[in-house]
Amino acid sequence: MNESAKRARTKAAPWAWRLLPIVFAVAVLVVMPGFLPSFLQHMMSKFLIFAIFSISYNVVAGYTGLISLGQAAYFGAGGYTVAVLMARFGIDSLWLTGLAGVAMGTLAAAAFGPILLRVSGMYFLILTFAIGRLGYSLTWNTPFFNVPEGIQGIAGLPRPATGIPGFQWTELAFYFFVLLVFALAMFLQYRLSRSPFGHSLEGIREGETRMEALGYNVWLHKYLAFVIAGAFASLAGVLYVFMNRFIEPADLDIMRSFYPMAMVIIGGSATLWGPAVGAAAIVFVEYFSSVLVPQRWPLILGTLFVLAIMFARRGLAVYASDLWSKAGAKLWKR
Amino acid sequence: MEALKLDHVSKRFGGLHVLDDITLSVREGERVVLIGPNGAGKTTTFNLINGQLPVSSGRIFLFGEDVTKLPVHARAQRGIARSFQISSVYPNLTVFDNAILTAHGLRRSRFGVLRSVDAYPELMEKVQTALDHAGLWEERHEFVKNLAYGEQRRLEIALTLAADPKLLLLDEPSCGLTRGECGDMIHVINTLPRGITTIVVAHDMDVIFGVAERIIVLYYGKLLADGDPATIQADRRVREIYMGVEEGTERAGAF
Repeated sequence: MNESAKRARTKAAPWAWRLLPIVFAVAVLVVMPGFLPSFLQHMMSKFLIFAIFSISYNVVAGYTGLISLGQAAYFGAGGYTVAVLMARFGIDSLWLTGLAGVAMGTLAAAAFGPILLRVSGMYFLILTFAIGRLGYSLTWNTPFFNVPEGIQGIAGLPRPATGIPGFQWTELAFYFFVLLVFALAMFLQYRLSRSPFGHSLEGIREGETRMEALGYNVWLHKYLAFVIAGAFASLAGVLYVFMNRFIEPADLDIMRSFYPMAMVIIGGSATLWGPAVGAAAIVFVEYFSSVLVPQRWPLILGTLFVLAIMFARRGLAVYASDLWSKAGAKLWKR
Repeated sequence: MEALKLDHVSKRFGGLHVLDDITLSVREGERVVLIGPNGAGKTTTFNLINGQLPVSSGRIFLFGEDVTKLPVHARAQRGIARSFQISSVYPNLTVFDNAILTAHGLRRSRFGVLRSVDAYPELMEKVQTALDHAGLWEERHEFVKNLAYGEQRRLEIALTLAADPKLLLLDEPSCGLTRGECGDMIHVINTLPRGITTIVVAHDMDVIFGVAERIIVLYYGKLLADGDPATIQADRRVREIYMGVEEGTERAGAF
């Protein structure tokens, strides 16, 4: 539980004031996209997919304190499973490829977890990076993972088949599909963070020795957290391939792992909305700055990072919610 | 019945013998105080009992069961609770979160994801009792780092007790407390349910003679003396360690 949640409970502002941000979020996520041009609907889908990817990172690093630089491996495992099933086996069912993708990513996390969790701290980070590289070079070098052969990655994938008669994908329909999955992911993250298991992860982040002494099998809890994070990452990877209809080894690279890390830090680590807020900030600032100043957009993104770290160290989500509470308290004092 | 038995237990760090062939047993319900000068191996003994360190040789029995190879959490599940020398409650979590973590630790619910952490009525009752007892229920939403040191210490002891331990290990519970707080601490230990076997590491004479039914003296990794407080007080070797050389006050004066 974070500080702002605690403060909100004791604060005097009426419930309507506290409900307003949620109304705003719903309006932006549900109502607004219908009025946007299709390329922005596409960006909205991308933002939600990265929000799900960031939830993965939030579970493993934000709550549990395992700083990973290899979440892209499970993102890629989910994505490549979908792509290979479509391109090599001609299976294009949304449900079949989607479930297979998530299962494969989760299994990959379950398989690598025991190796990774032999170490902790900086060594854990390096090892997750190494395993990420493994996935990268595997997809790079193996002809099986390149369709058409010779070109890196798998291109020209079909739209996933829903099995609903007469259904046609549009950019907006796909967005709402992603939104539904995002809502499910948010709900799961919420349940997790409120549950005894979720609290145990925060305890482990704060210090393992005490948790052991309290009777928690710290290794097992870390392992479960890692596998759950793998499931979220592969879910994001599956959606990513559905959206782009293309995947390449670079999607498993360290840059891809770095994105959710930056998003969680910017948005607010170990908070419910941090991953989504961070994903929105980075996806849209990156997009608009690259449109406005094509040559210098990394400069703008970098400035955002620095400002966020300087002035909103606990994340934009926490910063904004604190401001909102303070404003509410001030308004209703008079 | 024996709550705890150490059978020829030794601990070496490389060539350093921290504990050397310790054999002792503690009956169920006994209040034992473990004393000895710095470096005697008191905290190491605790680390071996609760499993934080593996023994180099020897065996450890808990209520008749050989627990020598069991990890820390498995021993905790069998009823060992421990407080640490330096306060170890989580400073960045709230008082309530600290308490609820302790409450779930020994139950299957520690893996639960379906219910909220505070949707367990029987645990909530327990948490409230423990925090009330420590006088911290009103401050349950406060971060632990914002509490006074004495309060943190009280919280730690209250939580250690909330786990319903069978064997309680208290490492210098009075460390860093004022004289008044120290008296409270002695009172807390003395009013523990008789069923709880308690081992206390202490330096403070008030604590040692305030709670001990039996005193074990460690000296450079060896078991020096073991007996009731009166015997230990009369023991010549113990007096030498704590009060300096006895049969030569004139020599001591010469320094």
